[in-house]
Amino acid sequence: MSVNPDYLKEEREQEWRVVLRSQKKNKERTDLVRVHMTEVDPKIRVQSNIEVNQGLSEDDAVNEAQRCLDCPNPTCITGCPVEINIPKFIKNIERREFLEAAKVLKQTSTLPAVCGRVCPQEKQCEAQCFYTLKLKKEPVAIGYLERFAADYEQKSGKMAVPEVAPAKGIKIAIIGSGPAGLTFAGEMCKRGYDVWVFEALHEIGGVLKYGIPEFRLPNSIVDVEIDILKKMGVHFETNFVVGKTATIDDLKDEGFKGFFVGSGAGLPRFMNIPGENYIGILSSNEYLTRINLMDAANPNTDTPIISGKNVAVIGGGNTAMDSVRTAKRLGAERAMIIYRRSIEEMPARVEEIKHAQEEGIEFINLANPLEYYADEKGRVKQMKVQRMELGEPDSSGRRRPVPVEGSEYLIDVDTVVVSVGVSPNPLIPSSLPDLKMTRWQTIEVDDDKLQSSIPYIFAGGDIVRGGATVILAMGDGRKAAASMDNYIQNISK
Amino acid sequence: MNLNTTYLGIPVKSPIIVGSCGLTSTAESIIELANNGAGAIVLKSIFEEEIILDFEKNVLPKVGPMDNDLEFFDYYDYQIKDEVLHKYQSLIADVKKSVDIPVIASINCISNGEWVSYAKKLEEAGADGLELNIFKLPFDIKKSSEEIEHSYIAIIERIIEKISIPLAVKISPYFTNLGEFVKRLSLSGVAGIVLFNRYYSIDFDINNEEVISGGVFSGDKDYEMPLRWISIMNQKSNCELIASTGVHTSDNVIKMLLAGAGSVQVVSALYKEGSSYLKKMNSGIKEWMSSKGYETIDSFKGNMSQTTADKPEIYERVQFMRYFSDHKH
Repeated sequence: MSVNPDYLKEEREQEWRVVLRSQKKNKERTDLVRVHMTEVDPKIRVQSNIEVNQGLSEDDAVNEAQRCLDCPNPTCITGCPVEINIPKFIKNIERREFLEAAKVLKQTSTLPAVCGRVCPQEKQCEAQCFYTLKLKKEPVAIGYLERFAADYEQKSGKMAVPEVAPAKGIKIAIIGSGPAGLTFAGEMCKRGYDVWVFEALHEIGGVLKYGIPEFRLPNSIVDVEIDILKKMGVHFETNFVVGKTATIDDLKDEGFKGFFVGSGAGLPRFMNIPGENYIGILSSNEYLTRINLMDAANPNTDTPIISGKNVAVIGGGNTAMDSVRTAKRLGAERAMIIYRRSIEEMPARVEEIKHAQEEGIEFINLANPLEYYADEKGRVKQMKVQRMELGEPDSSGRRRPVPVEGSEYLIDVDTVVVSVGVSPNPLIPSSLPDLKMTRWQTIEVDDDKLQSSIPYIFAGGDIVRGGATVILAMGDGRKAAASMDNYIQNISK
Repeated sequence: MNLNTTYLGIPVKSPIIVGSCGLTSTAESIIELANNGAGAIVLKSIFEEEIILDFEKNVLPKVGPMDNDLEFFDYYDYQIKDEVLHKYQSLIADVKKSVDIPVIASINCISNGEWVSYAKKLEEAGADGLELNIFKLPFDIKKSSEEIEHSYIAIIERIIEKISIPLAVKISPYFTNLGEFVKRLSLSGVAGIVLFNRYYSIDFDINNEEVISGGVFSGDKDYEMPLRWISIMNQKSNCELIASTGVHTSDNVIKMLLAGAGSVQVVSALYKEGSSYLKKMNSGIKEWMSSKGYETIDSFKGNMSQTTADKPEIYERVQFMRYFSDHKH
C-alpha cells in the first residue's frame, strides 16, 4: 500500500530521490512561484468548446515539480481519496521521467488525465500540502502535474496496455460505463474475467461524456482510456438498459456470475415549485446530455435545444457551472447562476467559479426561485425569486439561507436549467426487491467490500455515495473488483 | 334539535373540531374520531421547521470531509419536503375515502418561501380546507411588531392566490394590538381565525440545570383567554372565529358559542379522555340546549358577545371593578 509509512520511507530513500532532493535546498524550492496554467482568453473560449485549460509545458511542469519538498511525512497523500503516491510521481516529473510519473499515477488511479482535470484538488491533496498547512503559501499544483503526466503519456503513443491474466471463463456484468464502471472493468479484466459493460446511452463514458462539457474535459481524453480497455478485451454493449432491455435475472440466466452496479445518479431532482413544468425549464442532466451527446446545439438536429437569451441556472455545484457556461457558449446574452447561499458556500470548484466569472456569467447569490411564469404558449418568460440572508451555521458549518420576507422580485428568463442535484436512477433497484436501499435511494453496501444485500451484486460510485468525485468513484471500482474477485474465488471452491 | 353549524363555511354536524395533533395523523384514529362525532378534523401539521431540522441533523452531516458529496446534499431539503408532502397527500386521500366529515390540512410554517406553494398540492390531494399555523415566536427581538404582522398578511395573501378551498389562520395571542390585528386578518380573505395556538412551552429542571419540556396539554382554565377575545371580536371580524386552547368540557364549548365562536377545536381533552369523549361533549351541548329551549346553535351563538354592548371596554372595566369590590381581604 502506498500509504504504508514504511513503504513510503523506503521509496523516499531510493537513491535517485535522495540525489534529487540534494540538488536544491528547501529554501530555493519554497521560493519558487506556483506555476500558472495557460488558459484560453475568455472572449475567445466562449465562442466554442475549446478546452479552457491548456496544460503545462514540460519545463513548466519540471519547475513546478521542483517546488515539492518530497516531505518525509507526505500529508498530501492523506488528502487523495485513492492515495496516489504523490511525491513519487512529482519527483519523477522533476527528473523528467514523465512516463514513469504516469505509471505511478496509474498504480492507483485508472483515469489520471480525467482526474487531473476535474478533481477538486483544492479540497483534497492540495489542501493537505505542506505549503498550505505550514507555510501558508500556494500549494504545489498537484492537479496540474497529474494532468501533465497523464497527457504526456497519452500523447506519447506509448500507452501501455495492462497485462491480462489467463482467461478464467467467468462472465462479469457491469452496469454503467462511468468512472466506477470503467475502473472496475479494467481491474476485473486484469484478473482474467470475461468483462461485459452495459451502457444505457449510445456513448461509453457515463457522466464523463454526458455530464462534463468538452471545454472542461474533452471526450478524446476519455476515449483514449476506453480504447485501452477495449484492447484489454472488455466488451461494451451500448443502448442497453439493464432493468428494461434485460434484467439482472435475465443476464444471470445467460451465465453472468457477478454484477457491478455503477449506474450513477442520473435522475434529476427538481424543486417542485409552481410553474416548473413550463416549456423552457429543464434539468441540467437533460440540458447537458442533449448538448454533449446529442448535438442539440446544432439547429439541424432532430432535437435541437433553444439557445435562450436569458438563461437562469439554479444551483451552485459544478453541474450548475457547466450548464451556465454551456449556455453562454450557446449565445446567451444573460447567463445567470441563481444560488441561495453566498459564493463562498457554493459546492462548485473554485476554478470553475473563477472561469465562469471571467466568461461573464452573472452570479445572483442569496436568491432562490419561488415560482415561474409563462407566456400564452406555455413557455417560461419570468421567474420570481426571493432574496435570502445567511443565518446561523448549519451542521455542515455553512451558514443557513433564510428568506428575506417581502424581497421577491421578477427576472426575465426564456430558459431555466434546474441544477439542484440528482438522485440515483431507480431502474435497477426497482427490478430487484431484495436489494437494500438507503434513505437517499442509494444502494446499501458493506463499506469495505462494497457488496450489496444480494451477494453477487457489488456497487460503487454515485449509486452508492449519491454524489462522488470521479476519483472516489474510481476508488470504489477498484475496491469492488478486489472484493468480487475474492467472492467468486470463494464460491468456486 | 341539532348541532349543525359551519366550519370555515363548510356545513358540519357538530361544532367540535378535532385540532391538529397526533390524534389526527393516521387514518385509523381519524376514522375513530369521526365515528365518535367530530364535526371535522384538522390533520397533524406539516412542520416547516421539522423539515429544516431533519435536513440539518440527518442530511448535512453526511457530507464527507472533503465536501465530495456536497452537491448531492446541497438542496436535499427539497427532497425531504417532497417526501413529507407525498406522505401527507396520501393521508388526505386515504382519510377522504374513509370519513364523511371535512378534512382540513394544516401547514405549520415560519417563512413565506416556496413553502406556501404546497398549499395547492394539499388542495389537489382533496383537503376540504387549509389551516395555516404561522409559527413565528414573538421573541425575535430583531423584528418589529409591524414586520411580524406584515409577514402574516404576506403569507396569507400568497396562499390565497394559490387555492380555492377555505383558509383558516391559527394565531397566538401575542400581538401588540390583538383586536386590530384580528380584524385586519379577517379582511385578508381567510375564512376563519383560530384563537389561539399553544406554543411549545419550556420549563427548567433546577437540579440538573437543564431546559426541559413544559406542560404539553392545556389547562382547564386556559379557555378564558380565547373566550375573552372571541367575545370582543365577534361581529367585528369578517370571518368565522374558532376557539382553541382549554376547551375541555361541553360547558366550555357552550361558552365559546355564546361568545360568538362558530366552532371550537379540542385536543388536550381527547388525549386525556379518549375519542369517545366527543360523544359526551356533544350530548352535554344538546342537554344544555334542551334545558334552554334552543333548537339550533345559531339561535344562541354570540348571545353573550361583548360586541352586543355599545362600549365593550366599559363593560370589561365594570366587570373588573365589580370583581375586586366583591373580594375583600
